Amino acid sequence: MNRRELISLLLGLILGAAAGVMYSWVINPLSYNETTPASLRQVYREEYFLLTALSYAKTGELPRAQERLATFAEMDISSELGRLAQLSLSEDQPVAEARALAQLAAALSGFSAPVPTAVTATPTSQPTERAALTPLPSSTTAPNATRTPTATPGAPFVLLSSDTICRPDLMEPLLMVYVEDAFGDPVPGVEVRVLWDSGQDHFYTGLKPELGPGYGDFAMTPGVVYQVELVDGEYPVSSLETGVCTDDLDQPYAGSIELIFQQPSP
Amino acid sequence: MSKSRILIGILLGIAAGLLYGWILHPVELVDTTPDTLQESYRMDYVVMVADAYSLDQDLEQAVIRLAALGPHPPDEQVIAAINYGIEHDLSQVDLESLNALAVQLRSLPSSIEVQSP
Repeated sequence: MNRRELISLLLGLILGAAAGVMYSWVINPLSYNETTPASLRQVYREEYFLLTALSYAKTGELPRAQERLATFAEMDISSELGRLAQLSLSEDQPVAEARALAQLAAALSGFSAPVPTAVTATPTSQPTERAALTPLPSSTTAPNATRTPTATPGAPFVLLSSDTICRPDLMEPLLMVYVEDAFGDPVPGVEVRVLWDSGQDHFYTGLKPELGPGYGDFAMTPGVVYQVELVDGEYPVSSLETGVCTDDLDQPYAGSIELIFQQPSP
Repeated sequence: MSKSRILIGILLGIAAGLLYGWILHPVELVDTTPDTLQESYRMDYVVMVADAYSLDQDLEQAVIRLAALGPHPPDEQVIAAINYGIEHDLSQVDLESLNALAVQLRSLPSSIEVQSP
């Protein structure tokens, strides 16, 4: 092959490669209807996460939830779910959504999240019109047991301890709430109400899975007296104020309050 | 002679270009919508919508969620998911959820129009 032929071959290669790439990227790229959830636009991705959490809340099938989220391997899913839960609360979305997101976040973090509880329990409609509608398999005489959310068994949560926490690294004093079941395991998705003279707010445990599935907190304002109660609790905890702490230079600063609630043993 | 070389080069180049564009470095889609999901994901999406509906009993919300899967009527999407589920051995619990949603969707006026999120 002489020089002229080699140049012709190379020229052809370049033209052909350009045409091939143009065809495969622009004219006829891989099918646009074979995507995975990982490519979804942000708003749909959040909806996908929410649906995964709601489905988990209904079925309690963690492996299935993990399978659904497997395409998001590069993401910190637990943190994202926690963020969405907080967003849901701030936007006054249904409580069940925030709770489901928190529970799934806790479960994915490796904590032994309890069976989804019943805040959202709603009797499912009976498929009375099934025969007229769907070709369900004939073996319907013994349907699989549907997980019906039930209330967490056991007595209401009671205050186990209340302590002042001096942590100068915190930007602001916190009302730190830990909720445990009768066995000492953290419980996510518990609603905590905070009331003070001029207002009230609420949050849920498990929205910060990196701090534990049974943990939730609320920023305190020094000088304000708070009352805290768990929706599933027995008695409110009153007269809570920021603690008095001193740093290494003997300068005072507002300390946080740590409350631990636990279910009494059955 | 050089024309045949060019032709050979073009053919080889096209093959290389297709190999690169389709296999080695295919187009990566981003910011897609649920209607472009693979069929298995789309069907699973419907199952999740049915699960959510069984919790909140919010039919309007279920219709909105199904609208993200394309312009087909929501009840047809659920029926398609049921059929897919039967073919792929979906659990009885899932089929029951889908069925309950389909029944309620069938009761809706056919003229309902919902914008996807």
